[in-house]
Amino acid sequence: MKLDASGLQTFAPHRADPDNLYPDLSAPPSFDLPGCPDFDGFQKKAIQMVKPAKGTTTLAFIFNEGVIVAADSRASMGGYISSQTVKKIIEINPYMIGTMAGGAADCQFWHRNLGIKCRLHELANKRRISVTGASKLLANILYSYRGMGLSVGTMIAGWDETGPALYYVDSEGGRLKGKRFSVGSGSPYAYGVLDSGYRSDLSIEEAAELARRAIYHATFRDGASGGVASVYHVGPNGWKKLSGDDVGELHYKYYPVVPAIVEHEMADAPPA
Amino acid sequence: MSRRYDSRTTIFSPEGRLYQVEYAMEAIGNAGSAIGILATDGVVLVGEKKVTSKLLQTSKSTEKMYKIDDHLACAVAGIMSDANILINTARVQAQRYTFAYQEPMPVEQLVQSLCDTKQGYTQFGGLRPFGVSFLFSGWDSNFGFQLYMSDPSGNYSGWKAAAIGANNQAAQSMLKQDYTEDLGREEAVNLALKVLSKTMDSTSLTSDKLELAEIFLLPSGKVKYQVCSPEGLTKLLLKSGVNQPAAEPSA
Amino acid sequence: MSIFEYNGSALVAMVGKNCFAIASDRRLGVQLQTVATDFRRIYRIHDKVYIGLSGLATDAQTLYQRLVFRHKLYQLREERDMKPETFASLVSSILYEKRFGPYFCQPVIAGLGDDDQPFICTMDCLGAKELAKDFVVSGSASESLYGACESMYKPDMEPEELFENISQALLASVDRDCLSGWGGHVFLVTPSEVQERTLKGRMD
Repeated sequence: MKLDASGLQTFAPHRADPDNLYPDLSAPPSFDLPGCPDFDGFQKKAIQMVKPAKGTTTLAFIFNEGVIVAADSRASMGGYISSQTVKKIIEINPYMIGTMAGGAADCQFWHRNLGIKCRLHELANKRRISVTGASKLLANILYSYRGMGLSVGTMIAGWDETGPALYYVDSEGGRLKGKRFSVGSGSPYAYGVLDSGYRSDLSIEEAAELARRAIYHATFRDGASGGVASVYHVGPNGWKKLSGDDVGELHYKYYPVVPAIVEHEMADAPPA
Repeated sequence: MSRRYDSRTTIFSPEGRLYQVEYAMEAIGNAGSAIGILATDGVVLVGEKKVTSKLLQTSKSTEKMYKIDDHLACAVAGIMSDANILINTARVQAQRYTFAYQEPMPVEQLVQSLCDTKQGYTQFGGLRPFGVSFLFSGWDSNFGFQLYMSDPSGNYSGWKAAAIGANNQAAQSMLKQDYTEDLGREEAVNLALKVLSKTMDSTSLTSDKLELAEIFLLPSGKVKYQVCSPEGLTKLLLKSGVNQPAAEPSA
Repeated sequence: MSIFEYNGSALVAMVGKNCFAIASDRRLGVQLQTVATDFRRIYRIHDKVYIGLSGLATDAQTLYQRLVFRHKLYQLREERDMKPETFASLVSSILYEKRFGPYFCQPVIAGLGDDDQPFICTMDCLGAKELAKDFVVSGSASESLYGACESMYKPDMEPEELFENISQALLASVDRDCLSGWGGHVFLVTPSEVQERTLKGRMD
């Protein structure tokens, strides 16, 4: 038994054949459903199993020179750190990147899927898809799976014919256009730095530093964020990775250790 | 005449006296004496041990001085078994305070709480009052060095120099004569030894009949309770010259 | 999340030759939120006995204050310090007093006994003692600490080597735990002196 989501896809006329080894890439993917009588119970447990990898800090903001996107690199399962080198900024195409927060697999899969759709759009229409369009594609897919346990909190940032663009999309079906976003368990901390340091007339270097600092402060306060703070910039010529700094070193760069003044303990008074 | 009133602690005599309490004080009059002197830089406690028998094993390091907490100590005169109960209560009291407030118990508060216990035994029927007097010495951040004297009635008061136990009246008047405001710790020790040597029943003062404890501040600001060793006492006695019975003390 | 992991902690004690070391992380958090990075979980009972209390910080502090209370009275009455073994029994009995509403702490006790024999032990929150000859661990990073200590421990280490190993074990372990880290404290106790050192670590 399979769940066919193609009915939800208004623009996709094709139907995926489950036994076809070369499936139509433009069709929405289909998934095996568990062959058990208690589907809801199974799903509940399955959601719990893929629950891990929640803690993250990602942020993105638009300024005069384009879009800055930054993220940490920690993956955690409950209290356990499963990786410190996760790539949370996913390159969709040379002009568009997405961030990853929530379920790692969900994010990776659907971003890749979005990449395919964007490329097909480009081939069919002889022009690149707008960020608005791409984010809507993703939002529609996620909405079609609403309530089934997908966990995705992403920002789609890019440069299209209208200039820089930034959208927030999540698995609850939300899709927001904005100048400044942060997503993940460390986002409150990142927002604190971001909001106080943000100006639209920042230079690229200043903007990158602001993003780096925001990620660093989030990794400091948030237990589930850490590892490397990577910063991307999207300009008229596409995205470029600007830096990737280990926040372990970043801390001591921002706050060098002041050598402690050695205090000598005073000796006990001689007995009277 | 007093028969009708003194068998119970709770009853006043027609003259307004509590005989049991007065008897308790009488009992203390026979005990080894103790002197406390407040100095500018500390408090000194000196006590006279009554050596009852040569065969007696003196296991404890001190038998008249007890540390209550790091910043507090007391000297005892009276019935030791009664004293042990009160000392234990005092120690628990001090630790309870520290547990609740995370700071050392103020000296007067401790003295008062102990005196409340003592007072209770002069009022509620069927019990006998504690036959102990205490000299409390200590330091707290509010009032610095302090010296208190308490008696079986539960009365207490702060003193610059005080004596309890045998011949306490004679000692008290000597202290009154010789005490000066700007006494250092070393001078206070000398004064205490001098007074004790004169008021003691035995003719010569030796280290085995003496106990000396001091409370003072270390340069680090920590309060230190220090008991003088027998060797140190011998030296001190020699220096102050009080152990020669005939000669007039030089200090 | 377990109440034992509410604040996050990592604690380890290791034995060397006539010496021991006890180390902890410096984080105090509320679940994933880091609140302080200079928190102490290791307490001195006297010069030769130390206790580390992992788990719920408020219980750790209260439990420590009760231990100070009991140890102080012991000191005043006995006019000497407690032996590590005696102290461990005291902790155990205080914990069991709260059998049906326990302190959410897992203690690690380390001390030098007579003739400078090191003593380490841990117990659960109800006071079940577990003595060890090599090392003991507790806290939200305890699983990783077991692994790190298992590979780092050697018998009869000299103080400096012991310090190096316990520090490396601690720092390596907390790098795999969201809820602990942010630097470390190490107490290195030898018969003649006690050294307290602060470790620099990753601040994420």
